[in-house]
Amino acid sequence: MIGPTASLSHLHRADGSASYKCPATGYNILGAVNAPVELPGRRDALKPEEATVEVFVKPGTTTAGVGERYVEGLLRSVLGKVVLGREKGFPRRGVVLTLAIVGGENIERGDSYLTVFPALLHAGLLSMISASVPLSMTFSATLLGVTKSGDIVRDPSPAAAKAAVSLHVFAISSKNHLLLNESEGRFDFDTWELARQNAVTICQGSSKGSDGDVNMEEEKNASGNGFIRETVEDQIYSDYVYKLDSI
Amino acid sequence: MASTTASHATPPSLSLPPSQFARLQPHAYLLAHLSPPAASNQPSLRANGRAASQFRVTSANAGSLTHTNGSAVVRIGDTAAVCGVRAEILNTEDIASWSVSHASDEQTDDKKSKSEEGDTDSQDKEDRAHIQDLNLLVPNLSLSTGCAPGFTPGAAPSALAQSLSHQLLSLLHSTRLVQADDLRIWYQPPNLEAEALGEQMDVDSEESGNPAREIKAFWVLYIDVMIISLAGNPFDAAWASVLAALRDTKLPKAWWDDDNETILCSDDIADAKKLSLRGLPIASSFCSFEADAAAGWRSVIIPDAEEQKAQEQKQKKQGMQQRWVLADPDGYEEGLSQERACVVVDKENDGKAKTVIVKMEKHGGWALDGDDMRQLVDVSAQRWDEMKRILDQC
Repeated sequence: MIGPTASLSHLHRADGSASYKCPATGYNILGAVNAPVELPGRRDALKPEEATVEVFVKPGTTTAGVGERYVEGLLRSVLGKVVLGREKGFPRRGVVLTLAIVGGENIERGDSYLTVFPALLHAGLLSMISASVPLSMTFSATLLGVTKSGDIVRDPSPAAAKAAVSLHVFAISSKNHLLLNESEGRFDFDTWELARQNAVTICQGSSKGSDGDVNMEEEKNASGNGFIRETVEDQIYSDYVYKLDSI
Repeated sequence: MASTTASHATPPSLSLPPSQFARLQPHAYLLAHLSPPAASNQPSLRANGRAASQFRVTSANAGSLTHTNGSAVVRIGDTAAVCGVRAEILNTEDIASWSVSHASDEQTDDKKSKSEEGDTDSQDKEDRAHIQDLNLLVPNLSLSTGCAPGFTPGAAPSALAQSLSHQLLSLLHSTRLVQADDLRIWYQPPNLEAEALGEQMDVDSEESGNPAREIKAFWVLYIDVMIISLAGNPFDAAWASVLAALRDTKLPKAWWDDDNETILCSDDIADAKKLSLRGLPIASSFCSFEADAAAGWRSVIIPDAEEQKAQEQKQKKQGMQQRWVLADPDGYEEGLSQERACVVVDKENDGKAKTVIVKMEKHGGWALDGDDMRQLVDVSAQRWDEMKRILDQC
């Protein structure tokens, strides 16, 4: 299975940006973060002691509709909890995240938004890191589909997702917390629990010791949190390469 | 003089009436209710007098609006939702892609229904194709009714209203509550001449005696929900009202009149048919209330999930509960918690068979984990029995 690819900080006008591409589901997301910024409206009536997290999702071919509003709300609640909005310089200001769905299947009215959700979460998180927004933890997300025969498929393609009996999205934090769960379809609790354990393994990498060193490398790559970490490490390496050269 | 003023104006006491305390220190107020001092022997109750997993008093009334095909008013505590279902006819001639995309399906569908009715698998696919692709269900939720101080009446739909509309629609689609067959208006052409037969010959030789029946139109259900009073938990109330209204919906008998080339409807109420819905999915929402108001941000280093769990259990043993999961939160409680969960369950065979989860969601925090979700599913299953009783009576 081909892993996702991501790159950081390629937009120059935004404080932070990231693009994330998931070949399994086919989605390509471009994210940009501006933080902290002064928001136009007077936000004191909301929570003045914290930064306000605003999320905008723009689908590839149409204008944003009700589905996007729903996803924006979910992203806001997940990221708003992870962002340390009380750090110096953040209270009363805004953290504005814009996500554009650049590539992938169109999501039509009333379609489930779960298929694109992990990609949006990853792109959002990487953009936040690129903009140096203080975060209490990182996370990674995964989409799992349960087929008719009861098999759990990781990152099903849009066609496979439509045929699946139930779809689950889990976001697991770097400290093993369950940050977000969205499940729909028909399933019972045991299936959900199985999917959750699967998601923890996918996001954290297997806890069991691996047999060979080739496997080690692969496993590190394969886990969701490992992927986020590596992307950021690569970016930092290329940013500071001039220092390394001068040593 | 001094003594009279002292006795007249009561001494400025340091205590506040409860209502004022509730406004000034909402978090401490709710916490004081949930964790009463051990000496007082009071049970742990919420500020509104409910136990943690207790839902508000719910009432439902169907068929309140006369000009709709089906309607319902559902009240959960102080949250009230009115739902009206209106059916309109969509001619297949008006569907741009109809002749291209569905003309072929129709005949296979016709054959199938003759051979085996219980083939649910392909039937599901048909349903999805028609209901979802042709948008036969159009739910809309309005909060601009002056339902709560935060929503100006007559304003554009807020982000909350839009996302609730989407949730209703996606739940209608994913539960496949409405059967597409109820929404189809068929036409059986009379078997008149041989020329008509000639066209059908190549399709199926066995059916050639009878021309294939065709879909002439669809019913489109416009499902409008107005939240007329909002005191927390709008989704449960809205979904219950949609469910009650759909159960109440009657579609008039409609047929294609070949001479007039239009759809005609019978105005006889005896001819009208109720929708046959698949199951009875019931939504239950929860929020998680943390004893430590600053839990999310004060400690920059958040403990690992296992560590946190062990810590929590230790504190629970000492009688210091740190977290409560509140069922059916009201507006006051919603303002004090960020973590939300929603479970939609259904029971097969009218509640005799096992519980099926139709939708589960949790976001806005990291306190709820797998064990909590298991409990929530159990609570939701109990709520299903209660709601079924209420909806059956209305």
